[in-house]
Amino acid sequence: MTKQEILQVEGLRKRFKDIDAVNNISFSVAEGDVFAFLGPNGAGKTTTIRILMDIIHADEGTISWNLKGQGNGFPLASRLGYLPEERGLYLDLPVINSLIYLAGIRGMQKPKAKAAAMHWLEKLELADRANEKLQALSKGNQQKIQFIASILHEPEFVILDEPFSGFDPINQEKFIEFIKAINCNGTTVLLSAHQMALVERVANKVFLINDGCELYNGSLPDIYNRFGDRMVLDLAFEDHAPVNRISEIEEVEHVEAVDEKQIKVTFMPGTKMEFILKKLSGFQGITEFSTQKYTLHDIFLNLVKNHRS
Amino acid sequence: MNYWIQLKTVMLWEYHRFFKIKNELIGIVIMLVFFVIGFFGSSYAFKASQDKSPIFVANDVDGELIELLSENFDVTISDYQEQETFIAELPERKSGLLLTQEGATFEVHSWRNSGRIKELQRYLDEYRSRQAMQEIDLPRESLQYVLKPANVNEVYYFTAGSRERRIMAIFFSGMMVMAVFISFAYQFTAITGEKQLRITEQIVSAIRPQVWMDGKILGITLTGFSSILIYTIISILGGIIYFQITGSPLSSVLAYLHVPSILLFLSFTVVGVLLWNSVLAAIASIITDPNNSVKSSLMILPSLFVGASFLLLLNPDNHVAVFLSWFPLFSASAMPMRFVVTDVAWWEILGSFILLALAFYYIRKLAARIFHVSILINGNEPTWKDVFRMLKESK
Repeated sequence: MTKQEILQVEGLRKRFKDIDAVNNISFSVAEGDVFAFLGPNGAGKTTTIRILMDIIHADEGTISWNLKGQGNGFPLASRLGYLPEERGLYLDLPVINSLIYLAGIRGMQKPKAKAAAMHWLEKLELADRANEKLQALSKGNQQKIQFIASILHEPEFVILDEPFSGFDPINQEKFIEFIKAINCNGTTVLLSAHQMALVERVANKVFLINDGCELYNGSLPDIYNRFGDRMVLDLAFEDHAPVNRISEIEEVEHVEAVDEKQIKVTFMPGTKMEFILKKLSGFQGITEFSTQKYTLHDIFLNLVKNHRS
Repeated sequence: MNYWIQLKTVMLWEYHRFFKIKNELIGIVIMLVFFVIGFFGSSYAFKASQDKSPIFVANDVDGELIELLSENFDVTISDYQEQETFIAELPERKSGLLLTQEGATFEVHSWRNSGRIKELQRYLDEYRSRQAMQEIDLPRESLQYVLKPANVNEVYYFTAGSRERRIMAIFFSGMMVMAVFISFAYQFTAITGEKQLRITEQIVSAIRPQVWMDGKILGITLTGFSSILIYTIISILGGIIYFQITGSPLSSVLAYLHVPSILLFLSFTVVGVLLWNSVLAAIASIITDPNNSVKSSLMILPSLFVGASFLLLLNPDNHVAVFLSWFPLFSASAMPMRFVVTDVAWWEILGSFILLALAFYYIRKLAARIFHVSILINGNEPTWKDVFRMLKESK
């Protein structure tokens, strides 16, 4: 069954002075999606998100929202959640007060907001610090409070701009689970990030952007089908890795030196293992040999490289 | 969620964030401590000034003058040697006066010029008058008759502007300046501080900039007025206690409470403070760092405008006065001032008030637009030119 599209973006453009921050991009998000907006720093992710949140206006293009029971206009505050890239909360006020206020301006009644805030604070192991001033909390914990503020009012659609930045690996893992949990409870998620390894574990759709331009827009399985059928080998040599000689092999797409003895070799799509082994047999001193799947990170780097060239 | 509910949420948030009754009471206690210290300090200083000042008078000065000076000075008659010593020690002691006489000319020696010299001058003038009267044989009664002022019956056709009403108008203008100054500090914390803490993006993703701006203006205005209210109540209680202690009738206080005037003054003051808070909010919206911004100096603007309206008391009926009482940035204090010192038609009061309210309505809209276009600027502060350009582009 096709899911209903709740956000449609067509031909979006935004120019700052002589730079195209967003250059004619189009995409759509369906109900229940975890839509990942991926790109390097300065790619145009945050600008696009700010346009979606109606904080700045696009020069061209249309944005249509289609949340249940509402027209095509910008959704009510109560139905949207937003974690901005630029984090900030009231440092000199108790955590619980800020959370209740932020839920309040998104239409949640005070008693309900307080209960929801305590529920999330417990979940994030911060319940005992509810009445402390925010400035007393560590940066990581302040990040958690910011995350709670964006989803406390149980929005139908939440936009998380760089939700993993500032977290240690343990908390990043936790946040993947939180995002999955709110998505399971019916919240559609649009997130922007550049931690591809984390994103590919939670997203079902990806949009790759570079210099404001679309590089890819589609489902996660599809991006692997289209760009991921490459063999990647990790090779270690006794002495210096022969980078130049390996690059000269016609079927090699890219060679990345990990250090002076180790390299990562990406082969052209469709290159057979049998052929690869035959070619490598001509090299002396290989000490380690392993294959790996072409990751989202690799696909992204490859697409960005091709786009820039 | 409609405008009014969000407005109420933001307004109450700002109000509870800044108005702390505990802080107000601490402020009042500190003020009372300074008042008590000031009161007793000035009483002591005043008492000290009542004491007779010492004066050394040369022994050849006329006895009649010495007698006259004794009324207000502690006179010591000194010989030439003592006079020399007095002058020699003057740089050390730095106080006291020495009076010598050479015919009709007096010489006064003092470390520096002071109020005592002027006082001494009055006695010397009096002495000289007496001497002159004696010389021309003029009786004192005749001199008083000559100097008697003309008899004038004063008939005024505008009598409403009583002293009490003038004081009320000045009180409300002062209240407006105080409320604006109190609000101003909060305005910076609420707007510029929020930008510095990068909270703004979170907030305006949930509410429209206009709601945010209106909530802030109202919440901070309410904070300013709450502080003023507390100080007013304490002033009234203090006044009542003062009148009780000094035995003056309580009607002395009640004479100030002319309800129609109070309602008029209060209406202009409330809308005036709202207007100024809107202007200040617009300025605060483009300031990224209040400590280093030249735009922070604009905070003196309200006192200049209110101060200018005091000029009306001198000539309330000329064209400048009429203009000031209509022009919104002045009218909140200027119209009440004119009202108490001259005859102002009801339609002038109403027209001026409508203009003031309209100015508030549009300036708060402008403040929200300025905020909206400068919302994400955290680096270099935009110039006024940048702001006008951004406003133009945002259309």
